[in-house]
Amino acid sequence: MSKQRLQNIPGNHACALGAVAAGCRFYAGYPITPSSEVAERMSAELPKVGGMFVQMEDEIASMGAVIGASMGGVKAMTATSGPGFSLKQENLGYAAQAEIPCVIINVMRGGPSTGMPTRPAQGDIMQARWGTHGDHPIIVVAPDSVAEIYSETIRAFALSERLRVPVVVLYDEVVGHLIETVDLQPAPEEQLASRKWAEGPREGFLPYRADADMVPPFPRPGDGFRTHTTGLTHDENGFPTQAHERVEAVIGRLLGKLDRHKELIESYEAVGCEDAEVIVTAIGISARAAKKAVATARKNGIKAGLFRPITLWPFPEEAFRKLSAGASAVVVPEMNAGQLALELERFAPGKVSALTRYDGEHIDPSQILKRIEEVLS
Amino acid sequence: MTKHLEIRLSGSGGQGLLLSARILAQAFASEGASVSQSQSYEPTSRGGLSRADLVIDGVRPDFPLAEKLDYLLVLHQCAAGASDEIINDDMTALIDSELVTEPPAGKFKVKALPLTRTAREIGNVRIANIVALGALAGLSRMIDRERLEDTVRKGVPPKFLDLNLEALEAGYRLAEESRDN
Repeated sequence: MSKQRLQNIPGNHACALGAVAAGCRFYAGYPITPSSEVAERMSAELPKVGGMFVQMEDEIASMGAVIGASMGGVKAMTATSGPGFSLKQENLGYAAQAEIPCVIINVMRGGPSTGMPTRPAQGDIMQARWGTHGDHPIIVVAPDSVAEIYSETIRAFALSERLRVPVVVLYDEVVGHLIETVDLQPAPEEQLASRKWAEGPREGFLPYRADADMVPPFPRPGDGFRTHTTGLTHDENGFPTQAHERVEAVIGRLLGKLDRHKELIESYEAVGCEDAEVIVTAIGISARAAKKAVATARKNGIKAGLFRPITLWPFPEEAFRKLSAGASAVVVPEMNAGQLALELERFAPGKVSALTRYDGEHIDPSQILKRIEEVLS
Repeated sequence: MTKHLEIRLSGSGGQGLLLSARILAQAFASEGASVSQSQSYEPTSRGGLSRADLVIDGVRPDFPLAEKLDYLLVLHQCAAGASDEIINDDMTALIDSELVTEPPAGKFKVKALPLTRTAREIGNVRIANIVALGALAGLSRMIDRERLEDTVRKGVPPKFLDLNLEALEAGYRLAEESRDN
């Protein structure tokens, strides 16, 4: 393996390098701790590959610029944290509604509001899913290591392009600033494709008529297809409609396309769940602590398992239901007041034990191990 | 096989601890070790608690953060109490004898050395982070000296190379002298 491929870099740099490897050629953002290193690295990397980096006046404009660039046919992204993620929500909803591919990095810090800029948290789990108003499709991936930030950023672009949906890469400050050795291998061929471009007769082209895969081909600017893009609920021709029988169909497709492609989207790590009496489920740095706690518990003769969603939203519900069916308890360590636990309670009613912390510190493996022992006693 | 080691360099923001940690991390990585480096700092550009942790192992650890320190550097009083949850009897603490007035207390080994004063004598107080790195490496022998020097050579701007190498040397000397005592 070449030495250049193996590098000791922080998670935020791995994110930028993953984006460039995925073919991202446009970045617009407004720097904010603890995500700023993503912007910093993108500003250094994009000019080398003929890409464009713009520091905008704020987060709202950044998200608008990303959407505009993507409408122009380029793979585009932004990165932010805390209040910046809140500011991006309206335009994020626009991207979901108008089906414009884009990738949003959110490095979680202490909140609410400006909160604790340099302290880690995992308080945006629900916001990443429901931050923008209305029923909308969105994919959220949650890497737990520097290497996985690299590979999941690549996958985020692949999913976003393939399904014409915004994808959020969500990780906490600890993982964003953590320096680990990462193998910067080229993006897998199958994850490099751009969105499906419109082909065929220009006459009678309907920009939002989906193929059988529920995804409409994207009219490439300059190819001569007439198109119309709006945040208003629109029919296949791209123009607004409020006719209920049409709305049901178009919104139904918008929400249904993620379900159709569930197998492509879903990703999780399961360790020792088959015979587990207690399962620990977590993301980010809490998942790393959980991994160690579960390994220690096993050494101590406790049947513990780890279920870690890599695609956080849509949550890998079926796999979790199946793997947790035999367990008597599900421990959920998270750096918030209990957001993931709330979701898991739906799938494993009565079994969930939330281990929450929101003081700006991470959760230690020893705390998780203690809770594992408590729920079994 | 690489020994599992947990090291914390702590002090006040602006003392250059993140740089020292990066140099040490690179030195270990060049040996083929897996190095996990994490840090914490305050939202101010100078001052406030700042720390960088290294977890060294043969393979990437499940959990990459420090839980039980082997070595602790305290370069400023504001960091003296910040590691209470992970200090332990088996570790060694290296503290600045001038800027740390109330060192962390415990049964562990404590070495108080004039790191900042030595840096000032060399001619630049800002180089205390590299004096400290030399002293820590000298006391612990955790890393091959030539390898560390080599990493400093590669990692600092040419303009400041001599100053940094002198500081590293001074740190090693402080460690040697304290060993004789």
